[in-house]
Amino acid sequence: MGDRFDVIVIGAGPAGSSAAYNLAKKGFRVALIERGRKPGSKNMFGGRVYAKPLEEAFDGLGKAPIHRWVVKERLSIVNKEEYVTVEYTGRGRKSFTTYLTDLTDWMAGRAVDAGATLITEVVVDRLLMRDGRVAGIVSGDDELEADVVVDAEGVNRLVLERSGLVERLTLRHVALGVKEVIKVDKGDIEKFFGLGEDEGLAWVFMGSVSDGLPGGGFFYTNRDSLSLGLVIYLEGAVQGMRRHIYDMVEELRIGPLFSRYVENGRIMEYSAHMIPADPRAIRPPRLVWDGLIVTGDAAGLLINMGYTYRGVDTAAYSGMLAAKAIEEADGDYSASRLKRYEEMLRNSYVGRDLEKFRGVHDLYMNPRLFNEYPALLTGLLRRLYEFDYEGYKFSKAFSEARRGLVSLPRIFLDLLEVYRKL
Amino acid sequence: MGLDIIVGIKYVPNTTNVNIDPKTGTLVREGVPSVVNPHDLVAVELALRLRDRYGGSVTAISMAPPHAVAGLEHVLGMGVDRAILVSDRVFAGADTLATSYVLAKTIEKIGRYDLIVMGQETIDSSTGHIGAQVASWLDLPYVYYAIDVEYTGDGFIVTRELEDRVERYRLAKPALISAKMYSLEPRQVTLRDKLRAVIERPIETWSNKDLGLDPNCVGLRGSPTIVSKVEFTPKVPRKNIIFEGDLREAVRKLVQALVEEGVI
Ligand SMILES: Cc1cc2nc3c(=O)[nH]c(=O)nc-3n(C[C@H](O)[C@H](O)[C@H](O)COP(=O)(O)OP(=O)(O)OC[C@H]3O[C@@H](n4cnc5c(N)ncnc54)[C@H](O)[C@@H]3O)c2cc1C
Ligand SMILES: Cc1cc2nc3c(=O)[nH]c(=O)nc-3n(C[C@H](O)[C@H](O)[C@H](O)COP(=O)(O)OP(=O)(O)OC[C@H]3O[C@@H](n4cnc5c(N)ncnc54)[C@H](O)[C@@H]3O)c2cc1C
Repeated sequence: MGDRFDVIVIGAGPAGSSAAYNLAKKGFRVALIERGRKPGSKNMFGGRVYAKPLEEAFDGLGKAPIHRWVVKERLSIVNKEEYVTVEYTGRGRKSFTTYLTDLTDWMAGRAVDAGATLITEVVVDRLLMRDGRVAGIVSGDDELEADVVVDAEGVNRLVLERSGLVERLTLRHVALGVKEVIKVDKGDIEKFFGLGEDEGLAWVFMGSVSDGLPGGGFFYTNRDSLSLGLVIYLEGAVQGMRRHIYDMVEELRIGPLFSRYVENGRIMEYSAHMIPADPRAIRPPRLVWDGLIVTGDAAGLLINMGYTYRGVDTAAYSGMLAAKAIEEADGDYSASRLKRYEEMLRNSYVGRDLEKFRGVHDLYMNPRLFNEYPALLTGLLRRLYEFDYEGYKFSKAFSEARRGLVSLPRIFLDLLEVYRKL
Repeated sequence: MGLDIIVGIKYVPNTTNVNIDPKTGTLVREGVPSVVNPHDLVAVELALRLRDRYGGSVTAISMAPPHAVAGLEHVLGMGVDRAILVSDRVFAGADTLATSYVLAKTIEKIGRYDLIVMGQETIDSSTGHIGAQVASWLDLPYVYYAIDVEYTGDGFIVTRELEDRVERYRLAKPALISAKMYSLEPRQVTLRDKLRAVIERPIETWSNKDLGLDPNCVGLRGSPTIVSKVEFTPKVPRKNIIFEGDLREAVRKLVQALVEEGVI
């Protein structure tokens, strides 16, 4: 093909769009290739994005489709009909809710405005290899060459797999997320949750909602809709799963926690997506090769803090760093030169937080977190609050609630573990 | 000897996603993504195969609002050579008569063509009128439900498939055919063609300035059709009975229930 690009970016998600934007801005000729009909059409997430890294990656948020700034955080521990909720209301304005489809479309739009060439409806099959280095991409019978390729294909990184650069995904690598978007009246959202015009709520829950399997639920308020979903860790869940995950989400929607909020709503959308699970397992052995940089979910850059996921901001940030590394490489795109990217990433908040929260996955593999502890907690509070005449002393309520569930030393050890890993 | 082919494309709401507003009875188009009418992709596929076989060119035309450019980019990505978007506010609100008139005049202005290929029908109106009407405006022979075309130099041998038979027609050129839906598998967008579409942008937009048509013959004013009433087929109440247990037993009960309902 007659056209030559300096850089090819695979995937117009948050990572790819950010890489393309930051490169095009500096005058690189960038081809941004996306398999979806339009950018965002294949992307899915829970519901909230931390703003600052995005602002840095795209030089401001301008006309970004921001629905609500999160001012309220809720965490619920659920045991069937009972649940315990912690709520924090703060000054907010650190993260916002949105539709990832629209946000991604905006990000890719920024790249196009900066001069990137967006090519939709095209699937990259594999990397074009020449003399042991990446020299472009292959799609069907067509090849397209470039000096350097940015892989931003997301968690299901088939291009990297086919090129033999990473091992095949297994259940250890990924969790499964499903989500419903339910249209409700804008005023109702604000009334139900005590929110102002552009204020939002982020709510996560753990326990019996995932049938006691590792994972949890999430709930976000958008402008005039609610996002409700579940994430289930697949490792170990396959035997434990007794029913379809979408039945679990359905039960959540009609269950005691949410039914009153959604009873007048209409389901607008249903979606499912993979999500990186164990960051150590999914991280490729390296993030740069001769002529190639790997960013975003494909590089396993999702941070699970235990009570919130961050993948969009880290993806966009990694795209920006990839662009920086390419610029600094000054035409020499050998792995040793591109290593600057790995270094910048490690020293950025992305690298630091990945390191900090890397133990969370192990915590999630502790089944007591999703079964015994929710039962203990609700059993304790039930005894403390629900009585006719005579109340419980805390110590008595605690030892009764604990009976048959977990031993005291076990609790002590688990608590220590949680303390260390969070 | 080269074949110059024109294909008609309609950009339609993806109707599997469409909701009807129960109060107003209109389509809720808000947020509904549009696609190229899937049956038109069969027409494109047929046209591209003919071009690949005989040489020549394929030009796609669409009368639509500006957002249909995405649909034209899609067919360019499949390998169509050139596209024309016919777009003007005065064309809005057209029925089939006014639509076919504008399309016929567009084709006249293009001038050089041997064959026009249409889809069998659209998924959002499904009249199947446009092909026949365009042919009538242009005084061309036409054949519907075509599955194959052979070019003879001065005309075509068109094979069409009906429910119970296959027919062959000999047509003088230029001619119009409509491609039988589902008869061919439309090809995928390729990198090479999509790249050409976004870099060379072989898409022209023609307004009524280019066509110069009498405003009384186009759009709402040129449309004698009046939609007097829209009625929805009533929802059939469902009984929601689940026949459980042993398969044989469940089937026996199901059959019995159907007999009692007078269905079988
Ligand atoms: C259920 C769930 C909830 C989440 N919740 C949150 C949250 O609340 N907050 C948060 O910050 N993050 C959340 N995340 C994580 C976040 O969605 C991801 O980390 C983020 O989208 C990663 O961005 P990316 O650009 O790396 O990949 P993606 O967003 O997956 O984008 C990859 C793009 O590449 C395209 N592509 C893939 N392969 C090819 C190919 N071969 N050729 C061409 N194009 C290709 C895809 O179509 C896609 O557009 C959640 C994820 C899930 C699944
Ligand atoms: C009773 C009735 C009333 C209507 N009233 C209105 C109205 O008031 N306002 C309004 O906006 N619409 C109205 N419509 C819709 C409008 O008439 C049709 O959408 C349009 O004329 C095309 O007809 P069709 O979709 O049935 O195409 P068909 O005849 O089913 O299409 C056959 C083929 O013709 C080609 N084709 C069709 N449309 C185009 C196009 N626009 N450009 C290029 N090629 C094309 C395609 O190849 C297609 O496969 C009405 C339709 C009906 C049946």
